[in-house]
Amino acid sequence: MTTDSDLTLRVGSFEGPFDLLLHLCRTNEIDLAALPLRSITDQYLAHLEAMDFRDLEAAGAYLVMAATLIYLKSKLLVPPDEEDEQLDDEALALKQELEDKLREYARVKAQGAWFGARELEMSLVWGRPGATLPDVDELPLEDLSVDWIERAMKRLIEEQKRARPRNVEANPPSVLDRMTEILSVLRDTWSLLFSSLAGGERKRSEVVVTLLAVLELVRQGRIKTQQTELFGDIVIERQAAVPAMGETPSA
Amino acid sequence: MPNPIDVVEALLFASDAPLEAERIREVLDLEDADAARDLVMALTARYEEEPRGLSIMEVAGGYRMVTRPELAPWLVRLARVRTRVRLSRPGLETLAIIAYKQPVSRPEIDAVRGVNSEATLDNLLERRLVRIAGRKEAPGRPFVYETTREFLIAFGLRDLGDLPKIEGELVIPDLTPVESEHAEAQAQQDPGPGGAEQPAGS
Repeated sequence: MTTDSDLTLRVGSFEGPFDLLLHLCRTNEIDLAALPLRSITDQYLAHLEAMDFRDLEAAGAYLVMAATLIYLKSKLLVPPDEEDEQLDDEALALKQELEDKLREYARVKAQGAWFGARELEMSLVWGRPGATLPDVDELPLEDLSVDWIERAMKRLIEEQKRARPRNVEANPPSVLDRMTEILSVLRDTWSLLFSSLAGGERKRSEVVVTLLAVLELVRQGRIKTQQTELFGDIVIERQAAVPAMGETPSA
Repeated sequence: MPNPIDVVEALLFASDAPLEAERIREVLDLEDADAARDLVMALTARYEEEPRGLSIMEVAGGYRMVTRPELAPWLVRLARVRTRVRLSRPGLETLAIIAYKQPVSRPEIDAVRGVNSEATLDNLLERRLVRIAGRKEAPGRPFVYETTREFLIAFGLRDLGDLPKIEGELVIPDLTPVESEHAEAQAQQDPGPGGAEQPAGS
């Protein structure tokens, strides 16, 4: 699983911007009193370069983070401007936001670790896997949701798709067979309609074979065809005095 | 009339899902659910007195008969392959976000993780650990997600109240503006050694 398309950062086990930032904060054993934001941004940019930029969404997320850091960094370097109180507020708000996000992510990470440990613990325990009792009248409705209907439908459709090739088909007649057939019909009658050969319930593949057979016979000069109107039926006629071909009877 | 404790044992054995005290009360025609709980307690005591291969676990609002954890190696040998695939770290984190903040929408999950969680979420849905709980009245009316009963069972939780309060360990870089000269000097040098790690939750 975990095919999160934007987890393309190929460095260690990082999973996202907050993951990365958290890691940077942790490994970069910094004096908290004075933060060397530059080293963080530098590392950040290095990670950005190491990243596959095909994934614009992820790259964008990283860039916003990096830009925020650089902005905060710049606030550190520029002497505080008393006239520009507002901008300072902005920086503080940004800092607060970043801190909050980091704190929240750190919590989620810890929670995830707890779930992981719990999962491991539970993997040692086996319960009854399947129902041995007949189904209760009432379905456990509380655990159903719309997406299960969708899933069931999808599965049905998939099954249908897979089932289709199982319909065993008789070998479609070859062109040669069909040619022989046409000639044998023409032995008894002078002309026939293409629709009578290919119409009705015949499959598309058979229609194609019939058409090829007719074309081949025309090429060999054994029949004539006429079509009086566009998309109209094709009249097939015996060509007088055709030379015999193999066992096919001639006129 | 057989010993009601035996009946409870049989019920738990035959149930494939956690059996609620209320259901036991119904089947045994007991006065109240507490009486059913007492019977389960008595059964648990019996199991503890003389250890067996099984134990009774309270999970997802009911009781469940499970094998004892220390017997796992033999069961693995029986099954040859443990088919239960464990969740990945993104999977666990996404699940944690949903478990603690439910109902929660995907944009909210993405915002916490800082990355797109769609595939991870799909996997959780596939495993029935979470489900769609409805829609959020927000732009785009995104689906909101919540955990399922299967989630409680899979993680051995009685209910959501069993989720512990967890704070992550967090180093918050001090971003307060310091005197510019000092900051410059700090910026020039490499990350100083011997920094402090500050536990979170301050």
